[in-house]
Amino acid sequence: MRAISIPTGPGGGERRLTARRRVALVVVALLLTTALGACRGSDRRHAATGETGGTVVIATGAEPSTLMPPLATSTEEAAIVAQIFDHLAEIGDSLNTVGDVGFKPRLARKWTWARDSLSIAFELDPQAKWHDGQPVRAADVKFTFDAYVDPATGSPTAPLLANIDSVSAQDSLTAVFWYKRRTPQQFFDAAYQLLILPAHLLRATPHARLAASPFARKPVGTGRFRFDDWTPGQRVSIVADEDNYRGRANLDRVVWTVSPDFGAATISLINGQADFFEAMSPAYLGQLARNRSLRVVPYQGLDYAFLQFNLRAADGSARPHPVFSDRETRRALSMALDRTRIVQNVYDSLAYVANGPFVRAMFPDWRKLRPIQDNPTRARQLLDSLGWKDTNGDGVRERGGVKLAFSLIVPTSSSVRQRMAVLIQEQFRTSGVEVTIEPLELNAFLDRQKRRTFDAAMGGWHMDPNLASIQQMWGSYGAQPNGSNFGSYESATFDAQVDSALTALDPARSRTLWLHAYQTIVDDAPAIWLFEPRLVAGVHRRIHLAPLRADAWWANLADWSIPLRDRIGRDRIGLR
Amino acid sequence: MLAFLVRRLLQGALVVLIATTAAFLLLHLAPGDPIAATLDGPSVPESVRAHWRAEYGLDRPVLVQYGRWVAAAARGDLGWSLSMRRPVRDVLADALPNTLLLVGTALLAGFAAGIGAGVLQAALRVRGGAGRTADRAIGAVTVFFFSLPEFWLAITLLVLFTFVLPLLPSSGAVDPVAHDYMSPVERLADRAVHLVLPALTLALGALAVVARHQRAALLEVAREDFLRTARAKGVGERGVLLRHALRNALIPIITLLGLAVPALVGGVVFVEKVFGWPGMGLVAVNAVSSRDYPLVTGAVVVGSVAVTVGALLSEALHALADPRLRDVDDATPAARPGA
Repeated sequence: MRAISIPTGPGGGERRLTARRRVALVVVALLLTTALGACRGSDRRHAATGETGGTVVIATGAEPSTLMPPLATSTEEAAIVAQIFDHLAEIGDSLNTVGDVGFKPRLARKWTWARDSLSIAFELDPQAKWHDGQPVRAADVKFTFDAYVDPATGSPTAPLLANIDSVSAQDSLTAVFWYKRRTPQQFFDAAYQLLILPAHLLRATPHARLAASPFARKPVGTGRFRFDDWTPGQRVSIVADEDNYRGRANLDRVVWTVSPDFGAATISLINGQADFFEAMSPAYLGQLARNRSLRVVPYQGLDYAFLQFNLRAADGSARPHPVFSDRETRRALSMALDRTRIVQNVYDSLAYVANGPFVRAMFPDWRKLRPIQDNPTRARQLLDSLGWKDTNGDGVRERGGVKLAFSLIVPTSSSVRQRMAVLIQEQFRTSGVEVTIEPLELNAFLDRQKRRTFDAAMGGWHMDPNLASIQQMWGSYGAQPNGSNFGSYESATFDAQVDSALTALDPARSRTLWLHAYQTIVDDAPAIWLFEPRLVAGVHRRIHLAPLRADAWWANLADWSIPLRDRIGRDRIGLR
Repeated sequence: MLAFLVRRLLQGALVVLIATTAAFLLLHLAPGDPIAATLDGPSVPESVRAHWRAEYGLDRPVLVQYGRWVAAAARGDLGWSLSMRRPVRDVLADALPNTLLLVGTALLAGFAAGIGAGVLQAALRVRGGAGRTADRAIGAVTVFFFSLPEFWLAITLLVLFTFVLPLLPSSGAVDPVAHDYMSPVERLADRAVHLVLPALTLALGALAVVARHQRAALLEVAREDFLRTARAKGVGERGVLLRHALRNALIPIITLLGLAVPALVGGVVFVEKVFGWPGMGLVAVNAVSSRDYPLVTGAVVVGSVAVTVGALLSEALHALADPRLRDVDDATPAARPGA
């Protein structure tokens, strides 16, 4: 991943900061010195002096609640467990999920497909060991699968493994996955969704008690890092596994520090307490540019945001929405916004205009789509032709006694979406559309979405490589109560096209089918596709990053390094 | 005295029960639920959410949930934190010492500095001349700090001392990497450095209040005859002020101590959130955001107990400080001096 250097002003950055902090520390220490004297603490042996070594402090905006892989759902939890545990195979940088193209061996050093593709045999690396020294066995893989899919465990990953019938241990090093039917993602389901657990440590724990087990806060895995310490409310630290079967990680230690929110996490990066923060807000980039110790690293994310229309009445009933149930009106409204200007105003160059319910990183054929072009003049003509006219001169169009007006709910947790809502409101006003913005606390926002008691919502989704999730987000299946298709968009055509795309075994055919599916939903305009942010990480200059993968920036954390000549104080603090 | 204590304890228990019930019910009335907040991804089916709601008893009627919580709390079990996936008791046990350290430091610093400022102001006022001007100047400063909202002061100090002048850490209670490898003195210093800003924020507010009350109390006592007697006996002005006047003027400050505890418990929520101080306030804010009903209720229990104990302590200290109150039965207010 290319790092962009931003010119900085004068200043001694790291060294001046350290000197000032040391002065403050010494003054306080003198004031508090007692008869105990300054007895030395534990020995400070130097950490590794070769190319390996160093400590990275990662700022987070929330504390993890568990390190039990089947239950790790938040970004922080996923990032940490991915260092401590291993998949059978790792997805490639292209995030291909069809077949096994691009997948790299991990716990499984090779795999064999059955002739009918209804089973895959994974041969485990005989060198692989748990951090407690026990060898990894096929029984661990079987145990892991059984734990994930047991309803008593309550893993949100379980439904994603529905196509796997069972896992058997053919011998001590060969685990066989048996499938119910052939699907393009069957390898992905086995390799990506499961982080392998140690059966010898968890066999005695009922699956229903996994969440509460001590293991959930003191895990033992096979990863290139092993768990070190978790101080509640403050930090989680992991250290390099010296004898790892895949080789020692470059870093000695990684520490996640818990900040109360993203703003505080950003400040801790800027004032030197942290070395890395995954998602800098555009508002802080100027500060980052003036700090000689830091640099910005943009990378592709998997998020997209949209203005979602509720196609049903805002009272939560099944009646059609008086405005948004009309496809042509939705298309006209989509046309009425100058999305390029809106995105530039809020993000400058740090976001793309979205083109549909996908991210570019996962849909390389996005240029072949025919989007609804931004054209406010054409939009006004179209609205006129549809009968939406301002007959009473109040600046708002009407049709059949219904005003072209709606409320737009926005989560207050996102300043970006709030700013965009204001710009959207103004642009719509010039086309005779009245928008009332309703800022809501996040839980209240989610609740209104879930109940479908809204007109329009500033929504957003984080995609993962599992493409089937689109059925929940935009398919008829998700339009049912408790589904995630909050706008209740239903299209049999779109559903059929997605089904076909998900079951196509040929990658080229799959891409063509996805193109058809996306074109259908873009034409139906159940939402105005707004933006796809480019994520910007803030990182200390001394750290050499490995590529930041779009779905998991932490995927190559073990390959980050800190050259010996660039190391600072915390890199040299020895490990116990 | 025993009857007084028992009465106060029963009142305190009632306060805790009312506060806890109100928090429990109000949080359930708020939109959203803890399972939706943590398992809201599109690939998570409703069956998984339903599983966890049943696991935590969230599918029961609110009153049933409340009844079960009260019964468990009576046995010392404050329930299971939905967001932290740990017993509520353990979460609070980790957070409470940090809050006590912060509040205790702020109280000590705020009251010590406040008493000092109040004494100085009173002395300057009594001296007259340029002293009156100085007294007014100090008074303006204390009014300024008194009128500042705590969250604004916290953010200002944070920006000033961690951003503009990066002298102090912006969050946390200790250095996340080096603390374990420091000597005992260095660890103490490390904690102190992290404590400076949050404690200063709380202490400035307390200082302002205490200074104004101390000044007023001293000026009132300054007119008493026993001080004239002390001066006539040859006691110097400093001795008159510190040994005679101050002892009598401290009584209202002791009352303030009890009132300061609930104020600090409330203010600590903002301060801990701004500075990422891992105490009760931060736990409570995060618990409310994630609709962690048991944790919020547990935090309210601890908070209301702290307020009740603070009020009780204040009354006890007041009685200790003022001998005129020691032998007076609370049930016979007519016998109290000045009543």
